[in-house]
Amino acid sequence: MKKYLHYLLLIVLAVIILAPFLYALVVSFESAEETLAFPPVLLPAHLATDSYSKALATAPLLSFIVNSFVVSLLVTAGQIITCSLAAYAFAFLKFPCKKILFILFLSTMMIPAESIIIPNYFTVRSLDWLNSYQGLSIPFMASAFGTFLLRQYFQTLPKEIYEAARMDGCGRLRFFLTMVLPLSKPALATLAVYAFLTTYNQYMWPLLITSSDNMRTVQIGLAMLQWDQGISWNTTMAGIVIVSLPTILLLILGQKQLVKGLTAGSTKG
Amino acid sequence: MIAQTKNAFGDSKQALLFLLPSLLLFAVFTFYPLFASIKLSLYNTDLMGQASTFAGFQHYVDMFSSPQFFQSLLVTLLFTLYTVIPGILLALFLACTVNRQLKGIAIFRTIFAFPLSIAVAGASMIFMMMFNPSSGICNYFLQLFHLQAVFWLSDPKWALISIAIINIWRSVGFNTIVLLSGLQTIPEQIYESARIDGAVSWRQFIDITLPLLSPTLFFVFIVSVINSLQTFGEINILTQGGPVDATNVIVYSIYREAFFNTNFSYASAESIILFFMILLLTLLEFRFLEKRVFYK
Amino acid sequence: MKKHFILGKVFTLIFMLIILLSVAGCGTKQEAAGNGKEPTKIVFWYAVGGKVGEATKTLVDQFNSTHPDIKVEAVFQGDYDSAINKLKQAIPSKSTPNVMQVYDIGTRFMIDSKAVVPVQKWIDKENFDMSSYEKNILAYYTVDNQLYSMPFNTSTPILYYNKTMFKEAGLDPENPPKTFEEVAADAQKLTEKDASGKVTRPGMALAIYGWFFEQFLAEQNSLYADNGNGRDAMATSAAFNSPEGKRVLDWWSGMVKDGSAVNMGRKTADTMKAFVSGQTAMTIDSTGVLGDIMDGVNGKFEVGTGFMPHPAGASNGGVIIGGASLWMMAGHSDAEEKATWEFIKYMTAAKQQAFWHIKTGYFPVTTAAYDDEDLKKYEAQYPQFKIAIDQLHNTPVNRSTQGGLLGVFTQARQEIESAIEHVLDGQASSEDALQKASDTVNEAISRYNASVK
Repeated sequence: MKKYLHYLLLIVLAVIILAPFLYALVVSFESAEETLAFPPVLLPAHLATDSYSKALATAPLLSFIVNSFVVSLLVTAGQIITCSLAAYAFAFLKFPCKKILFILFLSTMMIPAESIIIPNYFTVRSLDWLNSYQGLSIPFMASAFGTFLLRQYFQTLPKEIYEAARMDGCGRLRFFLTMVLPLSKPALATLAVYAFLTTYNQYMWPLLITSSDNMRTVQIGLAMLQWDQGISWNTTMAGIVIVSLPTILLLILGQKQLVKGLTAGSTKG
Repeated sequence: MIAQTKNAFGDSKQALLFLLPSLLLFAVFTFYPLFASIKLSLYNTDLMGQASTFAGFQHYVDMFSSPQFFQSLLVTLLFTLYTVIPGILLALFLACTVNRQLKGIAIFRTIFAFPLSIAVAGASMIFMMMFNPSSGICNYFLQLFHLQAVFWLSDPKWALISIAIINIWRSVGFNTIVLLSGLQTIPEQIYESARIDGAVSWRQFIDITLPLLSPTLFFVFIVSVINSLQTFGEINILTQGGPVDATNVIVYSIYREAFFNTNFSYASAESIILFFMILLLTLLEFRFLEKRVFYK
Repeated sequence: MKKHFILGKVFTLIFMLIILLSVAGCGTKQEAAGNGKEPTKIVFWYAVGGKVGEATKTLVDQFNSTHPDIKVEAVFQGDYDSAINKLKQAIPSKSTPNVMQVYDIGTRFMIDSKAVVPVQKWIDKENFDMSSYEKNILAYYTVDNQLYSMPFNTSTPILYYNKTMFKEAGLDPENPPKTFEEVAADAQKLTEKDASGKVTRPGMALAIYGWFFEQFLAEQNSLYADNGNGRDAMATSAAFNSPEGKRVLDWWSGMVKDGSAVNMGRKTADTMKAFVSGQTAMTIDSTGVLGDIMDGVNGKFEVGTGFMPHPAGASNGGVIIGGASLWMMAGHSDAEEKATWEFIKYMTAAKQQAFWHIKTGYFPVTTAAYDDEDLKKYEAQYPQFKIAIDQLHNTPVNRSTQGGLLGVFTQARQEIESAIEHVLDGQASSEDALQKASDTVNEAISRYNASVK
């Protein structure tokens, strides 16, 4: 009985969380007239799919999705490397000014992105990286957020494994690669999902530094659709669904990985 | 004693190597622009936003004598208040409900993480449609229950709350994943021994779960505060700081001044102040909260 | 030794990644070697999306296929504001496009950027016949007797009303209100309340949009800025804090206070939706959304259109055109400039403007477009549009209807919107709100003027 009540609770919560997106999905299949009707149409008379073809015709969404994928993968790989290295230092190593350096790291999160975007534009320009994958990805390959996330996770790892490793005469880097990283799969998966999605969702930076359709990313495509917002919600919502599909898929796949990592971690712990 | 000191410095070379990739990237793409901003805040700018004549601290003086700035400050703090604590409590609740070994639990975990996969722009547009004052679905449901329609985004009393709702929705997915992964590191044996001692479940939660979860909670708290202080996308798309400045948070004001009002120096001054404010706040959080965090 | 080896590997990996990326980047930048017969390439930045963006792309494609010697690359740059911001980075780094679409209120900034070529240069050079272009539209973009940019997408606001509701309320459906006073009186008659006196259907929905305020001033032949709306000389202060400005706010807030008009915020999309779904009887919106309104209504009720209202007794006023124009940027070769001019001429020629009008609802900028057969069919389908054309032609060209020129117009518009919000919310009187807005704008103007020099 208690178990069924718990399922009921889960289902109610799931519906609440999903509601906005489900509604968007419904609207994307409505006709233009239905989107403007009151009371709002919750079940379209018939599935109108022309909003999807319209969305795809308005912006080259598919090629933008490919670009976004490449950039997001690069950033994710970069962040996994830089963040896990730095987090290891903060969690396990002793060195002077550690606290200050950590705060210095964290402080990079506190600088409003809107205020550093212009100087960065000029930096990237002088590196001749405008309109390129490296210009889109390298500035974001370090992340204080990721470092912080991993450091917190590393600190929950049992201290004994570190002591044991020291006793074995295991080198720091080997310890890092063979012990810390495998044990931290859930945190690494979280970081990967997060890094990927935040990069995928960037708008201002790609708009500023790219100026040809073959380097453009997906949120710019969404902005092209946004123009008609309010007039044809169905096209806008279709665009949102198309643009979100890859990330939703990734989340489902990533989450599986995440859960696997999680259970592995807990049985060992 | 001597051995200890030696030990304290023993790791520094290696530490430097581990930190180097991040430090290099930060130096070029974060600290250099930060210094450029500091410089810009001390100058006047030309039409294109390039530094022209030296202004000293004039822009800072202007800022601190502007009631608008303090209004923005207030709105920013209110927004943090509306989003951080409710957002974390909600995520904690969700994480606890899926921290069980039940059949199909992975599906619910994915669903609870779902909002993470929707971009700010997409989420804002979906909520814009739902919040439509005359025919949006939110007001339709209120009407079904014979409640007064709410002008979600155009009523100064509601606008900030509406933006907060969107913000909480957007961040709840990530917070839930992180808290869940924290919960999962708590070994089942600890609960078992507590059960043998006859501890009731809410006592278990307070005495065992919360302390063991504290590093994760601490992380989520710090990050939520920073993110909330920097919320921009929803406001830019939905309210543009209005109505009656009700959603004019500092980051939006920076954007407005820099990109619309061709007032780059003032915007730089604002961002420097915001930077130091968040830094101070985070230092305080570390000073007073991290002590309470229980690391194994 | 071993650990260094692994560490080294990690760094090599990062390093290689960077190298790889740089190489990949170079590949995309390489341009095909010219063989002398290459078409002249020009870059066009545009800032409209949705169906308007689609129509723009179609026109560019048609141009490219009919002009083999020119290749136009059309690049979307976000909305108007993002596009201008991008231009601000492009000018100092000398990477401006050849031609760019800029919104009406960016005119002063474009002139002051000193990075543009007035299209007048090419009009004079070719003795190009401009007589068929709408003079009310040209007047906006003419500064110091030079046509700086070529009008492209142009719209004005009009009154939309629900004829069916007019009939039900006992009003003449063929006679929309013309004055502020008539609008207020009709709105009251069109307002429905329940037994407890709560408004269930307001007579009018009016979005807080600075553009409308500017129109209401021009309707009274009143200026937005000094020095002839910034057209005799650079504006030095705002002029909207006037009895005319106050009249607009008093009228507006009066209707909101008695419930006959509803304040739905700044988005015209929201008021439009209310109108289309039959939750209000009147609204004001751009001519550009006429087609969308008709599609949304889809025969559920009869849609009427009328002139923008003005206070009783106001004379010699009219509407200001809005929209965007095409700017030719400086610093490109003569051959490119010539190609750009060909492109600009093409985009604003009769046939293209007729297509443009049908697809987007913007005015044709040239009267020659009205002879187009497709356009005639369109006019027959949407007789409501005739009002918009009449309104434009009824507008005398003077300093107030030419529209204000301000380098800080985006900010001024935002300040006005904030002022209207304060008044409608009962937080400030019309006078105080306008005073505050004008103080802020004046400060911004002096800062702007100092930065131009």
